[in-house]
Amino acid sequence: MKHLTKTVVLVLAIAVVLTGCKQPTQLINDVQAAVDKVTSAGADKYAAEELKAINDDLGKALGEIDVQGKKFFKKFGPAKDMLAAVQAKVAELEAALPAKIEAVKNAAVQLQGEAQAALTEAAELLKKAPKGKGTAKDLQALQADLTGAETLFTEIQTALDTQDYLGAADKAKTVKDRVAAITEQVNAAIAKVKR
Amino acid sequence: MKPNTFSCAACLLVLLFGNACNTPPVPPEAARAHALEQDLWRAGGSLFAPEEYEKFKAGLKTAEAMIGEEEAKFGWFRDYKEVRAVLGSLVTEGESLLERINEEKAGRERTFTLSAEALAARIGSLIAISQYFNENEDVRKNVTQAEIKLAEARRLVAKEQYDPAAKAAGDGGVFLDRAEEAAVRILDRYLDPGQLEKWRRVADEAVGESRKKSSVVFLVNKVERKLTVYKNGEVRGSFDIGLGKYGLADKLYSGDDATPEGRYHIVKKIPASKYYKALLIDYPNDADLHDFAAARKTGLVPGRAGVGGDIEIHGGGKDSLTRGCVGLDDKDMDKVFEWARVGTTVAIVGAVGVENTILAEIRKFKDRT
Repeated sequence: MKHLTKTVVLVLAIAVVLTGCKQPTQLINDVQAAVDKVTSAGADKYAAEELKAINDDLGKALGEIDVQGKKFFKKFGPAKDMLAAVQAKVAELEAALPAKIEAVKNAAVQLQGEAQAALTEAAELLKKAPKGKGTAKDLQALQADLTGAETLFTEIQTALDTQDYLGAADKAKTVKDRVAAITEQVNAAIAKVKR
Repeated sequence: MKPNTFSCAACLLVLLFGNACNTPPVPPEAARAHALEQDLWRAGGSLFAPEEYEKFKAGLKTAEAMIGEEEAKFGWFRDYKEVRAVLGSLVTEGESLLERINEEKAGRERTFTLSAEALAARIGSLIAISQYFNENEDVRKNVTQAEIKLAEARRLVAKEQYDPAAKAAGDGGVFLDRAEEAAVRILDRYLDPGQLEKWRRVADEAVGESRKKSSVVFLVNKVERKLTVYKNGEVRGSFDIGLGKYGLADKLYSGDDATPEGRYHIVKKIPASKYYKALLIDYPNDADLHDFAAARKTGLVPGRAGVGGDIEIHGGGKDSLTRGCVGLDDKDMDKVFEWARVGTTVAIVGAVGVENTILAEIRKFKDRT
């Protein structure tokens, strides 16, 4: 009876030691998959700094696993803790990412609206501008300028549709600025007549 | 144990533990290598030097593993000499890679700046040219699109996104090609030596007549936007003019908003016109009627359009858009009106010299297209 108890304790101890020595392969795969998922969800574009920190931490955890893997008495506990911390950060980023993307998208949509409003304002101003002697030539040229700007407006929507919100914001801002310059020129042409 | 023996043993123990606690520190190059990795990432290592950046990262990983192995040892047995050497060369490699990446970016920025300057120059030239003709919708539309694309490219370069910036600048270039093609389409006949010779003849004859008859002659140069007054073959005044929407084209029929070309005469002086003062010319002359009939036969005249008439030199402003007349500022019209008599010759030509700057620009556009 005494021998049997000793054997069971020994077997259990070996089992405990061997379990502790096993590489956390499943955990590594899970964390790697989670990182890939959050990356393809747009983290590389909309949360690049956070994603970089996660990848660095993951690299450190994998490094620690490598080091332990070469030892006779392997101790994967700290590496598992590191992986778990990475997993928690990924989950945190995954939860926060849609809001980050939404914020960029909203900013782009707002800029698109502002560009559209600027276009409408310029078109209205051109319609109302006195096309008498002295302005007709200028206004005709400015109308052509506005048509050019309007043509590129569609690129903003295309960028939004393809979820390129940063690109859409850039395009919207550029179109808005150019239209603002046209509006200024229309006002100058009108002022020329009033003088 | 004697006190002396005890003291020696104590000293040995202190030395032993002192040494054990005197663990060699992790080389400072490790922190530098990590900082460099961050710098390389921020500088866009994966974009501008992907292979070298990956190699650096792999080297850092190896060094970290070596540090880990040393840290696993009892303090007394740790030796960072080898890893220190590895880290040292890694830091040197990383620093030189960072420098190369920054040089690559600076080079790409310089390349972009050059192409942006070239685009901006083309835009400026097209805008300047477009002031000389009113049928400029296609030119202006495409130039505006090019301006927007260039501004977009500049924004992207500021974010170090050189490839998308190059694409946006390339798109801008395509719009400028279209604008130049449109300008060439409008002004192509102004580059035709035969046409230029014909205009030169009309101008020379008019000036010769002024010299021979000691008379006043008006010479209208459409591309230069000038009305020049000659007396005794000498220039007595030169005034800026405005034309119609298609003023650079030769008038063919009523409503084409083009200004006729050829030799005309003033048939009526109108001191109080809708456009301040006016001088009516005898358009259409025989040559115009002949051209109109030929154009009608070949289907160049739309619907029931007639040959047109009522072409005047009038006031109201040179900035106006006429329907084919020649517009002047009122103060200039006063002077021209003074010079004019019924019967005064008015020669209207597209251009008189090939050295004209506008035509030189158009020639450049044509060569490019």
